[in-house]
Amino acid sequence: MSSKILMKGNEAIAESAIRAGCQAYFGYPITPQTEVLEYMARRMPQLGRVFLQAESELAAINMLYGAACAGVRAMTSTSSPGFSLMQEGISYIACSMVPAVVVNVMRGGPGLGNIQPSQADYSQMTKGGGHGDYKVLTLAPSTIQELVDHVGLAFDLADEYRQVVFVIADGMLGQMMEPVELPEMRELRPPPAWALTGAKGRPKNIITSLYLNAPELERVNQELQAVYRRIEANEVRYDTYLLEDAEIAVVAYGTAARIARTAIRRAREAGIRVGLFRPITVYPFPYDALAEVAGRVQEMLVVEMSAGQMLEDVRMATCCRVPIRFFGKMGGIVPLPEDILAEIEALAQGKPALVAQEGA
Amino acid sequence: MSHIVVDEDRCKGCGLCTTVCPFDLVHIAEHFNAKGYRPAAQVDPKGECTGCAMCAMMCPDVAIVVYKTVRVP
Repeated sequence: MSSKILMKGNEAIAESAIRAGCQAYFGYPITPQTEVLEYMARRMPQLGRVFLQAESELAAINMLYGAACAGVRAMTSTSSPGFSLMQEGISYIACSMVPAVVVNVMRGGPGLGNIQPSQADYSQMTKGGGHGDYKVLTLAPSTIQELVDHVGLAFDLADEYRQVVFVIADGMLGQMMEPVELPEMRELRPPPAWALTGAKGRPKNIITSLYLNAPELERVNQELQAVYRRIEANEVRYDTYLLEDAEIAVVAYGTAARIARTAIRRAREAGIRVGLFRPITVYPFPYDALAEVAGRVQEMLVVEMSAGQMLEDVRMATCCRVPIRFFGKMGGIVPLPEDILAEIEALAQGKPALVAQEGA
Repeated sequence: MSHIVVDEDRCKGCGLCTTVCPFDLVHIAEHFNAKGYRPAAQVDPKGECTGCAMCAMMCPDVAIVVYKTVRVP
C-alpha cells in the first residue's frame, strides 16, 4: 500500500479520479476548483487519456454526456455558477441512464457571488436541480481523505446504478491540504453492453432522453424512481461522533461538520453532553437514522454554510419531535469553532431553541 | 530589519499565518489578488518582526519568504 502524501483537495480529487479509471475529463476553469483542471491537463495526456478544456460548462457537461454514452468512465468538476449552467445536461444524463461523475466545489452565491467556501448548493444538488423528476446520489466528504475515497466510490456507484453521481465539496476542501493515502491505480473497465460502441455485428443500442410518447416517458420515469428507491434503500451513509450519551445533537455535513467537531470537543471539555450527526450521503439523506437520534436527544443544532437548506431535511427526519436551533453562515463566511460553541452553550443553558433563519 | 514578503498571487487568504505571529503583525489585506482572494500582508510600523518564520512555516501554499536580519556581534 502507498504511504501518506500531502495533497491539496482539488489535486486529490483529480488523482483519485485517475486512479479510479477516469478515461475522460471535461471542464472549464472556475475558482475555487481550477486546480482539478490544471492537474488533469498535466496527468491525463501522460496516461494517453482524454483531457479537454471546453468552451463553457454547458459544453463540458454535454461532452461528459457523450463520453458516458460511449461507455467510458468520465468526469467533470466545477463550482457553483458553473454547476448551475450544467443543470440541463445533468437532467439529460439522468434521463438517459448513463453513469457519470460531477464534482461541485461550492462557492458563495447566489449570482456570481464570490470565491469563498459555501454550502449553498445543497438543495440544488440533493433535490434534482434541473428539470424533471430526477435526483442525484450525492456524497459529502468532510476531509481530503474522504474526498479521495468518495471520488472513487462515486465512479463505482455511478456504474452500479447507471446514474450521475455528485460529490459535494466546497472552496475550503478544494483549497486546503491534508495528508492522504491514495488508492492503487485501477484497470480501465471495458465499455458496458449498453454503450454506443458501433453496432457492427450486434443489435443497435439507443440512448436518448426524448420520449414523445407519454406512456413511454411514464415508464422511463417509473424505472428512474425504482432506481432512486434502490439507492435510498442501499446507499444511505452517515457518521456519528460522541453521540452515544449526548443530550444535544449537532447536525452538519462537509466543512461545517469538521468545524462543529472542534466545537463539540471543546463543549465536552466544559462538561456539555453534545455529539455530532454527520450525513455522508446528503441524497439519500439519512432520515431514519436521524429520526432514531431525535428519539434520544433533547435538542438539536443544525449548522450549515447556507441559510437553512439541510434544516428542511432535518425537520422532515425528526418530524419536529425535538426543538431545533439553527446556525448558518452565508456568502462565503466560514463559521469559527467559537461561533458553534456559543450556540451549543446557549442550548445547554436552556435558551429557547427556536428555529431561526439566521443571517449574520 | 527582519520582514516577510508575501507572494500575493499564491496566497488564498486562508489566514493561518495571521493566527501564529507572536507579535500580531500579519493581517489580511483589503485588496484582492489576481485570483480574487484577499492576501496576507505584514503591518509592522515599529519594526517588531524578528524573522521567526512561524508564518512561513504555517503557510500551506509556501507563499511567504522571510528575511531575517542577523546581528553581527
